[in-house]
Amino acid sequence: MKTHSVEIGALKRELPVITVAPGVAVALLNLLGDTELTEEAAQVLAAKMPKGIEVLVTPEVKAVTLAHVISRILGIPYIVARKTVKPYMHQPVTREVLSITTGKPQLLVIDGFDIPKIKDKKVAVIDDVVSTGGTLRSLSSLITDIGGHVTATLAVFTEGDPREDVIALGHLPLYLE
Amino acid sequence: MTTETYTLTVGKLTRELPLVRPTPTTRLPLVEFLGDTQLAQAAAKEIQGLIPAGTDMLFTCETSSIPLVHSLAEIMNLPYEVARKRRRPYMQDPIIQDVQSMTLGVGETLWLDKRHGENLRGKNVTIVLDVVASGGTVLSLEKIVVRAGGKPFGRVAAFSPGKPKLEIKVMQELPVFDAKSKG
Repeated sequence: MKTHSVEIGALKRELPVITVAPGVAVALLNLLGDTELTEEAAQVLAAKMPKGIEVLVTPEVKAVTLAHVISRILGIPYIVARKTVKPYMHQPVTREVLSITTGKPQLLVIDGFDIPKIKDKKVAVIDDVVSTGGTLRSLSSLITDIGGHVTATLAVFTEGDPREDVIALGHLPLYLE
Repeated sequence: MTTETYTLTVGKLTRELPLVRPTPTTRLPLVEFLGDTQLAQAAAKEIQGLIPAGTDMLFTCETSSIPLVHSLAEIMNLPYEVARKRRRPYMQDPIIQDVQSMTLGVGETLWLDKRHGENLRGKNVTIVLDVVASGGTVLSLEKIVVRAGGKPFGRVAAFSPGKPKLEIKVMQELPVFDAKSKG
């Protein structure tokens, strides 16, 4: 299998290069289940966290453990934007997003109960990989609409086109055929 | 909306949990590890003693159990895998397992990419979930373990509403309230 070598802090990983759509392959970062890598990435990202951030927001699912560990390290709370509206949510707010790794529109949902934790707060968005930025744009617009101030975005990697607006530990190529 | 809550105590932490109504006649406390780093860590500390000695790996499914299992994996220094609830485009030859859920009445499907399934092969795998109700998810996760060539080795949950309906080690039972008694 074709792989792509990455370094995250003091760790090295061989990421499998996987075709996700006709003519498009990505180097697949997996944090779920890799406590060592999650810890290392979280430590290095936490050190880069801008001053004054009051709450972290992360999209479900793959960045949840990263946000959890950064939250643990810095003592800043985190909120998970879900992909579906849950029956127990109170007045949830939603936004549609087109993601490169799913290929179809999906939803981002913030529970109404979480709005007071975001409103008038300085927010850092946490993701594992920022590629086209579709998720980031939708999540930022959702946070802005409920009164939060997106002050920073932190990700383990950016992918495809380099981006200045994301604090990241490296860059992944997008494999186009 | 109601302001009624249930006071949960885990280790030295307390949380006021809102009551939700999963069926027309019952109400339960809603416990949430997502976004609550301290609660996930406290519960992980409490349930580590329930993980059978000889466990090689923890196994759960997305999403609400992930912070708990991650915290548990950290303190026990064990690897874990997460079954997904949707097919992802990058999955290749995944194990696909239906869930027979008695409470939801709707079918759910779990997916484990082949690359991750290979990590379960030959391992003693203990299932860990945040909340177990009917146990349908536990049984489906065990089927995935068997199909991946692993051995179902233990079942652990942080919470169950009332008595669990299958054999499983539970840290704490949550009360089930009659919805008609209040509000």
